[in-house]
Amino acid sequence: MSGTSLRPMAGSVAVLVALATLPWWAGDQYQIHLAALIAAWWILVAGLNLVVGFGGQLSIGHVGLLAIGAYAFAILAGRHDWSPWIALAASGGLGGVCGLLLGLPSLRLPGFYFAMATMAFALIVAELVLALGDLTGGGVGLSVPGFPEPFESPAGHYLLMLGIATIITWCAWNVARFPWGRALVAIRDNPVAAESVGVPVFRMKLAVFVASGVTAGLAGALFASLQSYITPDTFVFELGLFFFVCIIIGGRGSIAGPLAGTAILTALPELVAPLAKLGTLFYGLLLLAVVLLVPEGIGRLFQVILERLRPRETASPVLEPDAARLAAAIRRQERP
Amino acid sequence: MTALVADGVTKRFGGLTALAAVSLDVQPGEVHGLIGPNGSGKTTLLNMLCGYYPVDEGAVRIGEEDLSRASVQRRAAVGIARTFQKPRLLPTQTVLENAMLGGWRDTRTGFLAAALSMPRVRAEQRELRDRAQAVLEGLGLGYALKRRAQLLDHAESRFLEIGRALVLRPRFVLLDEPAGGLTGAEIERLGIVIRTLRDCGIGVLLVEHHTEFVFGICDRVTTLNLGRMIRHGTPHEVRHDPEVIRVYLGS
Amino acid sequence: MLGVLITGLAIGALYAATALAYNVMYSTSKVLSVTTGHLAMLGGVFGAWFVTELGWHPVPALFASLAVGAFAGWLTDVIAIRRVLARSDEHLWLLSTLALATIVQQGVALWWGTEPKPFPRLLPQDFTAGLADQKYWLPIGTTIVMAAALELFYRRTLYGKLFVAMSEDAFAARARGVETDRLRAISYGIAGALGALAGFAAGQLTFAFFAVGLTLTLNGFIALAVGGLGSNVGALVGGAALGLLNAFSANLIGGEYQNTVSVGLLMIVLLLKPEGLFGSRRVRPV
Repeated sequence: MSGTSLRPMAGSVAVLVALATLPWWAGDQYQIHLAALIAAWWILVAGLNLVVGFGGQLSIGHVGLLAIGAYAFAILAGRHDWSPWIALAASGGLGGVCGLLLGLPSLRLPGFYFAMATMAFALIVAELVLALGDLTGGGVGLSVPGFPEPFESPAGHYLLMLGIATIITWCAWNVARFPWGRALVAIRDNPVAAESVGVPVFRMKLAVFVASGVTAGLAGALFASLQSYITPDTFVFELGLFFFVCIIIGGRGSIAGPLAGTAILTALPELVAPLAKLGTLFYGLLLLAVVLLVPEGIGRLFQVILERLRPRETASPVLEPDAARLAAAIRRQERP
Repeated sequence: MTALVADGVTKRFGGLTALAAVSLDVQPGEVHGLIGPNGSGKTTLLNMLCGYYPVDEGAVRIGEEDLSRASVQRRAAVGIARTFQKPRLLPTQTVLENAMLGGWRDTRTGFLAAALSMPRVRAEQRELRDRAQAVLEGLGLGYALKRRAQLLDHAESRFLEIGRALVLRPRFVLLDEPAGGLTGAEIERLGIVIRTLRDCGIGVLLVEHHTEFVFGICDRVTTLNLGRMIRHGTPHEVRHDPEVIRVYLGS
Repeated sequence: MLGVLITGLAIGALYAATALAYNVMYSTSKVLSVTTGHLAMLGGVFGAWFVTELGWHPVPALFASLAVGAFAGWLTDVIAIRRVLARSDEHLWLLSTLALATIVQQGVALWWGTEPKPFPRLLPQDFTAGLADQKYWLPIGTTIVMAAALELFYRRTLYGKLFVAMSEDAFAARARGVETDRLRAISYGIAGALGALAGFAAGQLTFAFFAVGLTLTLNGFIALAVGGLGSNVGALVGGAALGLLNAFSANLIGGEYQNTVSVGLLMIVLLLKPEGLFGSRRVRPV
């Protein structure tokens, strides 16, 4: 047990140390900004991944929840002078409440209906941001305050986001490995079987959806303060598609895959100029290629290759039930 | 002793009556066979005992507790477990994880407790893993604990589904054609498993086409035809009933 | 008030036509394709390109646009449906059609530009006709003709009857020797042509604009869900209801809340009658 889990643990710590010291070895401010942007997107994607990658609910409209968090933070901390920390918590809370309001009617619907409902939600949020100009600044946008010292500088802001992203990654990893998360996978892979052992399908979908609303709200607040100015053009529907593609490409039912997907897809267009020009078309092509060629995601591809390389068991043992042991196992489970 | 009872259960799909006032009871520690031609309503009855279809008339009970309106989940929680005609496993999960899913009703921790890795969650997981492993080893699947379920062969899948049902700590197990697609030797081993369940006091409802197997293992047998019960009794009585021979067994 | 009514019916006709295209594809594949609205968008954009930029007469431009739509529909089947259906994972077709829709939309945006461009006049008529203007009655008339033609096709022709048989039980149809793969490809081609026809006819209303596709995918779907999945009468009623609701709400509370109002309608209908006004309730499969 400890032998198998120690190596990934050491790897995670090494990566974390490298990321935490980034401000001291990064080439320029822009790289730190990019890393902070990746952290913001990952905070959202980590929550969304539980909905899409584990629960199998295809939400393409999380950009709406992101916008709600961003505007809540800008309005509360900027206009009403709330403490940024309280405004951050409020943004997450509001994201969760909106996730609940969106999830309650839509999570009972079949797949395509649900996807359309989430897409419609993103369009409604975009519409309301423009319509409620007194509150949101309309098309002009809003300026957003930063966080107080020591998180005021770009490096400080980055480290704050890295810290939050690390905590959320840890939480998502916990959910994934304990029976609760396994039951979530059962809802994705075989809802009928999940029900048959008593898994409360709707309630669990709703729980992760609300959680993803909280992370989307937090991500929105952090992203807004990172940008220091937000307009409706920031929160276009295509951004929601981008989050979704990060997960599908990284692989469903994995944490590391979507994390790598988010980092690579955020950085790639910044580093390779022609891809930036293609924009969303590139994500569409990538998504199509993955769905047709490796529907389990690129992350799974590595896993399968590793499995192939491992030596095969020579002969499959015979399935031979042992009545005495079985009876002992059943009786042991009985409770007084 | 409390039995699982279907009391005059009726089910209609549109104008079609799939089940007409069928009654049946499964006692603890009994293997009860349910046979009949295709489309006679066997699986429909099983689905109604599990709560997938609401009953139009009649009632489903355990002892005095009326379950007619209870959800699928509620019925699992009171100890009704089942397997499916075509095994329904989680292909990407390991054999052990598939079996552990059966223990859902014993987990008391929710999303937040899991996200924060509370000690209680870890203890629960450990307990569940040990239980599931013991059951799988008893079923003879001990060699495949870490294998992903999509790599199992057909017999292994069927046994794993039974394992998942057992980790639920069931009072009643409903098996939907468990011998389907198994070889003669494998059916014999399935018989060992089913007898063990009975000896442990679990009530087994066995929906099956393999009549030799049913008559060999069941304490009582119920025969359905076109949604009606045509004969109910010991294997010997049912096997020699002229009506059963005419509509199902053939001469 | 009459102006609002006519505008609502005209835009509702476009929604209804999109819902019809959804139905044609759904009948043979049980798939709701995200590309459906984009097929209509292609009709509008290519129509404008053929007439305005290439200087073609509207009639050959219409047929060329239909060909583009049919090709795009067929391509949807080949790329996004055929291989995915064989895998029988219900989520995959959603992903593949979403990917294809994104590619089509962004491809058009790169080629055609992201600004809406005017769609040419199709018939000689000056701009003083007011409510009798072709931009209103062309989409309305086209959709009515389209629905009638589809009904005749389903009832009178061999292919139409095969479609109906396949939509009722694809497995049985295959068992009786129907080439279901070929039928599905044909139905996707037909849906593409229908979508392009609707986009062409309504071009003067929507302009030649790349983002029309996504709007129509959503609103066509709402019309479909309100009217009832699989029902062509439902598609017409749902489209008209949605178009009228949009027009009247824009008139009363302003045009900023279009999506909110449409989704409100969808939610109310799904709450009261989940199968839609003319849909059939299905038994839950285990």
